[in-house]
Amino acid sequence: MTEAAPDITLIRLLLGFALLIIPAGLSWWVRLGIIRKMFVSTGRMTAQLFLVSILLIYLFDIDNPYINTAWVIIMIIFAAGASMMSSGLRFRHFFIPIFASYFLGAGFSLLYFIGIVVNPERLFTAQLLVVLGGMLLGNSLNSVIIGISHFYQALKKEKKRYHYLLSLGASIREAQMPFFREAVIAAMRPFLANMATMGVVFLPGMMTGQILGGASPDTAIKYQIAIMLAIFTSVTLSISLSLFFTARKGFDEYGVLKEELFK
Amino acid sequence: MSMIELQNIDLSVGQRQILKDVSLQIAKGGRLLIRGDSGTGKSTILRLILGLVQPDNGRVIIDEEVQNKHNIWSQRLKMAYVSQDMQLGRGKTESFIKEVFSYRNNRHLVYDRKELAKYFDLFGMNGVGPEHRLEDLSGGELQRVAIITALLLKRPIYLLDEITSALDANLKAKITGHFLSMKNATLVIVSHDQHWYEHDIQTLTLDS
Repeated sequence: MTEAAPDITLIRLLLGFALLIIPAGLSWWVRLGIIRKMFVSTGRMTAQLFLVSILLIYLFDIDNPYINTAWVIIMIIFAAGASMMSSGLRFRHFFIPIFASYFLGAGFSLLYFIGIVVNPERLFTAQLLVVLGGMLLGNSLNSVIIGISHFYQALKKEKKRYHYLLSLGASIREAQMPFFREAVIAAMRPFLANMATMGVVFLPGMMTGQILGGASPDTAIKYQIAIMLAIFTSVTLSISLSLFFTARKGFDEYGVLKEELFK
Repeated sequence: MSMIELQNIDLSVGQRQILKDVSLQIAKGGRLLIRGDSGTGKSTILRLILGLVQPDNGRVIIDEEVQNKHNIWSQRLKMAYVSQDMQLGRGKTESFIKEVFSYRNNRHLVYDRKELAKYFDLFGMNGVGPEHRLEDLSGGELQRVAIITALLLKRPIYLLDEITSALDANLKAKITGHFLSMKNATLVIVSHDQHWYEHDIQTLTLDS
């Protein structure tokens, strides 16, 4: 164990905010017109992270397996909600199936990661369950959003193609298959590119964090590799399950795509 | 015996009534040419037969069976549909056709590569072969791939929506001739094309 990086005092953190003068100055100089937005976003980030840190302090303090699990479920609800918001689909049709697919997809990967790979004495600790759960969900989120919206937008745009496949004798699932493949590939692509350049182009956040926290680079890298594998699995599972669970809902008894799915 | 029958069909989309009290009957091996101005519901009739749209009133009867949500899946296996602007997706042409043959309901059909090559040759796909990618094909070529797929499936009913509009005169004659020579096939044709009119076919004219 190397020594943890020194703590940052509040005054010094405020000095960190002084850095904003540079982007704000630039924005003013070339009239980007985003100064307000910049301060709102920075403010939100700061406030949210402070609130979470208070919550995390309590969670770590209590460290009750039930409360930890409940918090992971709350994170999943937020993730499912965020996916819905960004995918242009109707909430009431999709929220439950998408929640269920995150729950099973990310849940399985998280438990496998903790139980099999890390293999600690206690599974449901805040340090592992909450922190790794957040990490896994946060990283799966983007890919799942890309996958789901790609699937339904493509079906909407290429409705003729889907209906043509039905006319050729396909079942609903068979006619969905090409769209499913393209959606999963679209979701995977940024992730695969990311994995392929990892360590060369950038040092991933988790690893950086662990090293700053005092872990040896050797441990940090092993965690990073394992979490990437878990994220990869979580993304694949969550997308497949969400398409699987919503497949029946999105189509009528004749296999025709329902228009009311879209906002 | 009739192969396709529509009985007193009313159909509206949104506020607009597209079909009002339409009835028609086509015998096994019969041919029907549907004509009319655009927006009169010609393509909608084909989509009704395929069960892709449901009538507000009236019945669709295929091969003596009233169409419903249960038998639609087996009824579709009696039809092959080609329309004017085909979306076939991406990937190799042959992979697309093979995937269609791999559907559970099509597994009894034998995929014959020689027959595929024969049709590519017959329909003048100059320089385009089954190994070419769909996204590289022109509209007219995609339409012919769809026609070839339909023929390979050997369905008893062919629903053909303006399938010759993007083709030159020579190909028009070849393709209309080919379909009309299939004596047992039931054909429903939507077209403005003179080539179909030259043959003696029952005609239904829709007006708004």
